[in-house]
Amino acid sequence: MLQDLGSQDARKTKLIAERVSRHGSMDVVHLGDADMYQMAQLGVFEEVDLKAVPNAATIIPKLRKPYSIPHIFSAQIILYNPDKVSGVTGFADLWDPKYKGRVAIPDLNYAVVTFGAALIAGGSMSNWEPAKQKLLDLKKNDPKIYPSHEQLAAALKTGEVWIAPMWLARGYMWQKAGINLAHVVPKEGAIPIVFEAAVPKNAPDKANAWAYLNAMLDAKAQQGFADRMGYVPTVSDATLPAAVGAQIGFSPADQAKFNTPDFAYQAKQLPAILDFWNKEFKA
Amino acid sequence: MNESGRAAGRPVAALVLPAVVLVLLMMVAPMVLLFRYSLNIFSPTELMIQALTARNYLSAVTDPYYLAVMATTIRMAVLCTLIALAAGFPAAYTLARMRGRWKAWLTLATVFPLMVGNVVRAAGWMTLLGNAGLLNAALKASGLFPDPVQLMYTPMAVALGIVTVVLPYMILTLASVIEGIPRGLEEAALNLGARPLTVFRRVVLPLALPGVVAGSALVFILCMNAYATPILLGGPQFTMMAPAVYDQFVKTTNWPFGAALAFILLAVTLALTLAGRALLQRRRHPA
Repeated sequence: MLQDLGSQDARKTKLIAERVSRHGSMDVVHLGDADMYQMAQLGVFEEVDLKAVPNAATIIPKLRKPYSIPHIFSAQIILYNPDKVSGVTGFADLWDPKYKGRVAIPDLNYAVVTFGAALIAGGSMSNWEPAKQKLLDLKKNDPKIYPSHEQLAAALKTGEVWIAPMWLARGYMWQKAGINLAHVVPKEGAIPIVFEAAVPKNAPDKANAWAYLNAMLDAKAQQGFADRMGYVPTVSDATLPAAVGAQIGFSPADQAKFNTPDFAYQAKQLPAILDFWNKEFKA
Repeated sequence: MNESGRAAGRPVAALVLPAVVLVLLMMVAPMVLLFRYSLNIFSPTELMIQALTARNYLSAVTDPYYLAVMATTIRMAVLCTLIALAAGFPAAYTLARMRGRWKAWLTLATVFPLMVGNVVRAAGWMTLLGNAGLLNAALKASGLFPDPVQLMYTPMAVALGIVTVVLPYMILTLASVIEGIPRGLEEAALNLGARPLTVFRRVVLPLALPGVVAGSALVFILCMNAYATPILLGGPQFTMMAPAVYDQFVKTTNWPFGAALAFILLAVTLALTLAGRALLQRRRHPA
């Protein structure tokens, strides 16, 4: 098996470039839920063949999609250094002047950070407009923007920054790597992300692609992923050891408050959000 | 004479053919396609709508953001080219005037950095320049700077990174031209009483000018298109054109606008390179 490692964006670009070709270069494509939705709208994926993917029967009903299988999920939480920061309750703490110059923002997560800001500024997952002013206000707190999650982790480790919005799974991995971190699920509700896998219509070997998807949903594989990477299983039969579950999982109350993205809206707004992010927030 | 010339012409054309076909296929065809894309309209849902419009070009050249990104790119490219020229000339001269085994070793040492990819090299700079990096650790140990000095994510870090990438190109181009300047000319000038600086100014530099032109053009073009170094060392708030083009293609999937930006970058680079060349050539043959 050949794994084509690269950024999600690069993979998306490859899908788009190959969409008119009869023979694509990928059998299975991994993408985050928003990107997967956008690509599915372009009609590049096969519908999931439920007969060829028997494990799909165990998928948590809320995560089911016709064009992809959910592989793992997590949500954006507030990650912080417990030696420097206390009493964090939600996204709004990033604006606290106490943390001036110590707030870290992951550049790659521009969309979910924007929606996080929208939520506390009177917006919603279907209205990011209020985030504009809120993010411009955040600039007064001199946030440090990092081009990659790894660089952000390094800055948390050295104490250069103390607080950041991040996927909980990443926080778990970094904690395992010895960085002093704690997290809080924001009181306004976390924004979940599901990483999904799908089979392009022009996949060269579909039979194996479905088998691969089936293996991804296997309870054992899901448990292994949770333990190593900190992402929560997407199937009902993969139970986690209590200790791991407490660190990476979301309580039923947290899950009930999840702010699920409005994918159709997001796909339309993403270019404008990135434009604002680059031209005004980062400027 | 004519006969043999014509006979020699045919094999020459045949020899050039593979390269021409390769360039046409691998470079001109994608560029024609890209140019066609640049005239299309972007839609977030359908991605690309067939059209024949100049609006992508217009919105790029009227957007203050992209004008600023272009200005940053040009400033950085000019600065790095000048630094590379100033630092590269003495090294190239030394290399060109060297004889024997040492010369081979030094040439190899000059080429050596090219064997390490840009990204790897930038990673090296990151461990040196980071707030918890080697340089800051040394500054802290010296007691002069108790707080870390911001070295990473600064234009200075980008300039440093780019210069080290392009320096070998400058040195090798200059050295090959300087080698062709007979040493006797310098000796004659010295014999006639010229000081070393005058020899450099009146003899070596004018004769090395073709190398200066070629080296600067090569380096300037590389700097204008720098991608990995500005991203890794400049950080998210320092934007040059090549990363801006990439963002349009990959992050927003706006291929038409990305293509227009790419052609604008190409045109500006070409225009500035030709202008620089004309300027230097005029110095060489003053009217």
